[in-house]
Formats: sequence, C-alpha cells, structure tokens
Amino acid sequence: MNHMIDLITPLQLAFPEAVGNATLAHYLFVSAAMFVMGLVGFMTRRNMIVMFLCTELMFQGAGLALIAFGRHHLGADGQTFVIFVLCVAAAEAAMALALVVLLFRHRETLSSQAWKELNG
Amino acid sequence: MESIINPLVLYLVCALGALALALALPRRNDKLAIVGGVVLAITLGLAALGLTSAAKSSGQDTPNLFFYIFAIIALGSSARVITHPRPVYSALYFILSIIASAGLYVLLSAEFMAFALVIIYAGAILITYLFVIMLATQQPTEASKQILDETDAVAREPILASAIGFVMLAVLTSAMFNGLSDLRAPKGMDTAQDSVLVQLPRKVDRILHRAGVINDDERVARADDGTALLDIANRTIVVENEDLGTTRVLEPDQWPDTLTAGNLDRLGYNLMHDHPMTIEIAGVILLMAMLGATVLARKHIELEDELKAAQARKLGPSLTLPPRRKSASQGGDA
Repeated sequence: MNHMIDLITPLQLAFPEAVGNATLAHYLFVSAAMFVMGLVGFMTRRNMIVMFLCTELMFQGAGLALIAFGRHHLGADGQTFVIFVLCVAAAEAAMALALVVLLFRHRETLSSQAWKELNG
Repeated sequence: MESIINPLVLYLVCALGALALALALPRRNDKLAIVGGVVLAITLGLAALGLTSAAKSSGQDTPNLFFYIFAIIALGSSARVITHPRPVYSALYFILSIIASAGLYVLLSAEFMAFALVIIYAGAILITYLFVIMLATQQPTEASKQILDETDAVAREPILASAIGFVMLAVLTSAMFNGLSDLRAPKGMDTAQDSVLVQLPRKVDRILHRAGVINDDERVARADDGTALLDIANRTIVVENEDLGTTRVLEPDQWPDTLTAGNLDRLGYNLMHDHPMTIEIAGVILLMAMLGATVLARKHIELEDELKAAQARKLGPSLTLPPRRKSASQGGDA
C-alpha cells in the first residue's frame, strides 16, 4: 500500500504512468538551468530590484537540487536545508530591499549604473 | 561511465538556450525578443525530448508527464523573469516559477516544503518585492507611461553573459548526466520514513488508540532509551499494559494503515533532532535582518534648530540629565 502522497492519489488513479519518477538527473537539469538563468539575469539586468529577483531565482535552483538529492537519499535532510535556505532568502530579501529603498532615495533611480563610481 | 543523455543533444540545448536568452534579453529592437522566445520554446522542447530519451535509456518507457509540465513552466517563466523589461511583470513571472517549482517539490514527495514555498516565497517575499517596486518608482508622467526607463529597456552585455552562463550549464549537466542512478521507488521510502515512528512512541500510542487496535489501558512498549518497540521491517508492535505489567505482540495483520510517518513527521523530527542549533542561528539571522532593514530604510528627517528645541522641550521631563555630584566628589577627596 502506498501511503506516500495523499495529494497525488486522485492523479495516480487517473494517469497511473504519469507520476512515475524521473531520474535524479532530470531534476538536477532543471535546477541547474534555473540557477544559470538567475546568473545570466544578475549579470545582464541593470535594475537593482530585478537583480535581486535573479538572486532569488538562484536560491530556487539550489533549493530544487537540495530537495532532489534529499529524495535520492530518502532522507529529510535536504528539506531541512531548504527551510534554512528559505530563511536566509527571507533575510536577504529584507536587507536587499531596504538597501534598494535607501539607494533609490539618494539617486532617484534604480539603475545599478548610478553607483558605479563607488569605491572602498 | 556511459552517458545517459547524448552529449551532442546536451550541448545543442545549451547553445540554443544561450542564443535564445541573448536574443530575448531586453534591447531596443522588440522583434529580436520574439525570435528569442521562439528559439527558447524550441530549446525547451529539445531539452524535454532529450530528457525523455534519457528516461527511456534508464529503463522507464513512459514519459513522466507532470515533471515535464512543471519543468517547462518553471524554466519558461524563469526565462521571462530575466527577459521582461518591466520589473512588476518580472516579479509576477517569478511567482509563476515558484508555483511550478512547488509542483516539482510535490513530485519529489516534499509536500510540506511545497506548501511552505508557496506561502513564504510567493506569499511573503514576492509581495515585499512588489511593495518595493511600487515604492521605488518615480511618479509617472504622461510621456513616461509608454516609454521604458533606459535601465530596464537595455540589458548589459547580453551575449557575453548568456555565453558564460550556458557554458557553465553545459559543464554542470555533462557532469551530472554521467551515470547518476535512478530515484529509488517510493516503496522503499515507506519503510525508510516509517523508521521515524520508533522515535515517536506517543504518536504511535495515539494512532493505535484511534485505530482501536489496543485497549485504553495499553500502550506501546518503550525500550530503555524511550524509543517505541516497533519492528518496522516485520510489521510487529510490542504492546504493554503498565498497570498489570504484561506485554503482548501485535501481528503484522493488525498493523493499522494509518500507522505511517508522513513527510511532516520526518521533516519535523529531522529539524528538531538533528539540526537544533541551526534553528537558533536562523532565528538570530532573521532578527539581525529585521533590525538591519529597519536601520537601513528609516528616513532621516532634517529639523530646524527651533523645531529641535521644541521637540526637546516636549520630551524634557523624561530626558533630564542626572544632577552633577561635583561637591560630593570633592567632599570624598577631603
């Protein structure tokens, strides 16, 4: 008897073959592609808010990889790590957005180019 | 080790994806973006085909429909996040990508995380983003409603960035497609996840009582270290009556169907038992983020000197300085 996913059960009845499992590599491909899209977006976009959205996209990719590996080892560690990734992402979003609001007040623009002469 | 997916297909997908993103990233010429979208759709289709053949070669004849639906929605909307010129739409597409990843989480039997992802990410974090997008924009004038800001309209170095990104994707994926094993069947997961039940004797008590398998004065026998005496593999349970001091063994056919550890049990046990210190650290991180955000985003109000004086007078009684004890210290010296 399969007590695994109550949510999927009606679907399993309707399409028994459709919820079979893909291999680990399938999920890792999606996660890597998501991460890379976030990376490309972070490098190309010039709006600071979109840049931070792209970091969230990278967090997503990492989270998917963690969950997939956790499923592969049949343990809950991967999901626990995703909880902490979510926590760090929330903290990062709060700080980053506060920073964006602060920078916007100084220059009245969201462009990251406006701050290119920053030096330590 | 033999590669599961044909490397040529893999590199073709990566090259096409880079081309598609380079075309679709915002620039002055809108028509190229449409071409980029078409190329991206072709790329996703090709990737799906390649992955299907990978699934076939690993012994699965049937395509995994839901995986492909969620994966294509997730990747397509991720691409739209980084290519859409308007930030609000980017954020909305990001919500779509979150929901599709939540679907993938469900397929990976991480139901709790799927719902947590929708609530925390789509519900909380992204709404914060939307708020900031609304806050940090200039008042639009009639002329600027149609014209995009230069910052949003033109991407910086799209070709170089997508080339670098997809070279990285090619390297990552060609490493991971080399002979990684199939995900084990969920059947194996049942016993793996039920082993948590040994650590949760009171939950087992509750389930057994509810199922009516044991009497009111009975409970699961505990070992010396407080774990329940369950034999997960053979499906037998040792039940004890504390008052009489007797024990009996429940046979496998008496094992109730409801006696199973769900995703939440395993996750909660893992979180609280194996990573307790991390929770404390997470709490500190969140507190620091809250304080930091408050300090960073507060508004500095410039007051005239007179206003400052008026404020100080209003706060006066509570802000009086302690009286100087000059004479007392002198007396001490003497």
